[in-house]
Amino acid sequence: MKKYELKNLAEPNLMEDIFDYDLAPKITFDGPIIEVIDGEEVRFDPGDVMKRDIVITDTTFRDGQQARRPYSVEQCVTLFKLLSRLSGPRGVIRQSEFFLYSEKDREVVEKCRALGARFPEITGWIRANKGDFKHVKRMELKETGLLTSSSDYHIYNKMKTDRAGAFKKYIEVVEAAVEAEVRPRCHLEDVTRADIGGFVMPFVQKLAEIADQVPEELKPKVRLCDTMGFGISYPGAALPRSVPKLIHLITTEGGIPPERLEWHGHNDFHKAHINAATAWLYGCNAANTTLIGFGERTGNPPLEGAVFEYIALKGSLCGIDTLAITEIAQYLRDECRMDIPANYPFVGLKFNATSAGIHADGLSSDERIYNIFNTGKLLGRPPHVTINDKSGIDGVALWVNNFLGLTGDRKISKIKMAKIGRWVVDQYDKEGRITSISDEEMAEQVKKYFPEQYAKVAGE
Amino acid sequence: MTDSVKTRLIKIVSETLEVPVEEIKPEHRFVEDLDAESIQSIELMAAFEEEFDIEMDEDEAMEVKTVGEAIEFVEKCIREQK
Repeated sequence: MKKYELKNLAEPNLMEDIFDYDLAPKITFDGPIIEVIDGEEVRFDPGDVMKRDIVITDTTFRDGQQARRPYSVEQCVTLFKLLSRLSGPRGVIRQSEFFLYSEKDREVVEKCRALGARFPEITGWIRANKGDFKHVKRMELKETGLLTSSSDYHIYNKMKTDRAGAFKKYIEVVEAAVEAEVRPRCHLEDVTRADIGGFVMPFVQKLAEIADQVPEELKPKVRLCDTMGFGISYPGAALPRSVPKLIHLITTEGGIPPERLEWHGHNDFHKAHINAATAWLYGCNAANTTLIGFGERTGNPPLEGAVFEYIALKGSLCGIDTLAITEIAQYLRDECRMDIPANYPFVGLKFNATSAGIHADGLSSDERIYNIFNTGKLLGRPPHVTINDKSGIDGVALWVNNFLGLTGDRKISKIKMAKIGRWVVDQYDKEGRITSISDEEMAEQVKKYFPEQYAKVAGE
Repeated sequence: MTDSVKTRLIKIVSETLEVPVEEIKPEHRFVEDLDAESIQSIELMAAFEEEFDIEMDEDEAMEVKTVGEAIEFVEKCIREQK
């Protein structure tokens, strides 16, 4: 057994090559991932994502709207504009899909397109009916998603047909799309519950055959839809639930290259985000997401989570305007009446807040101790404290100094906070309070005990 | 250690921690012997600043553990801030 010796240091090793405070912490690998597939060891190089054009795609206006009251046209256009800003010049948010069925659906597409944004590219979503192509053609879209359900649950129990019947119908619609010069994107609904060898692979291989006969811009894409969130990311997991094995089979024996493959997940087992990231690592270029993860039932991989995963994997911002994430969340909260849990990563009102006094003390001396990255720079939201009975004088002091914008030597000493600290303690010990103290209440205390400083901040 | 500072400081400690003046000795530790809670420690420092019209360095003040150390620290502040 290797013996490890204590290495004492004069200066701390903060591992800033990984934990660069101005970026999401980098995800680094020191070797290949090995999967056993059909009895053979297959080596995957996770570092390959640095070279591949991995992208995020968006379904906020399709799947995202299936779980909430619809956005208004104006709301869709505003959100699309913000998505475009977030995406950056390289188009990290590469595509966004839209319903095309109602007049309102089509008005949204027209208005978003009128913005003239290069990214996200607008694509459609229709059922696998040849008649529905008229909508795609009318909107002059270059690509549309088609519902091509793949499990027997859907084929036999929902569509009331058999595999051969479904296969024939899907291929007819794909051929109709190509003929109409619209790129088909086949959504293999419920693929993590499908017979991979008995239906999915024959269908995908047929798509690859069609692809061989058409120009690049019409070659069919495949979206792997983990409709019920059954996908598993662990190496060694078996098909049909294994994300790695699915991706590997489709990109090798299926003949669909990474740039024409997309992963669409659901969060029923809390695996939506990690499955999407896993799909990236194993050779699928596009991860389909929604803003705040809002989507059917438990939702989809959250787009903002995918953005930080992307930055962490690429080790660079890649032109992404992360500040747009905070604006999007604010807009969803204020204008779209969306309830975002306070502790929701990256966008919840308290995602980088601490109530514990001992954490506040750490934050006060070096915010990196209790902040995931420079949230002030990347999200416009520096870490802060919420005050409750566990906050102590350290929490109170940090809250007050943050509120007054005082740093370094200008900070007010904890000793001067005694009266506010006493008020907080009495709220719980004498008044029997069981809720946190709101920012408004704290501001009132600052106004009472530090009126001059308060007046400067409040512009009084 | 001047009587004036000592008397006034012990009176503050007595009032803040609700301990009779005659029971407070210089060697007493605020937390362990006089049962001072966290907020009371800060209130004591704030009261010393007000009573003696001094400004105390926060970090140095937090190092004070006993009544005797507090008296010495306050006297030092008074000398330096005269």
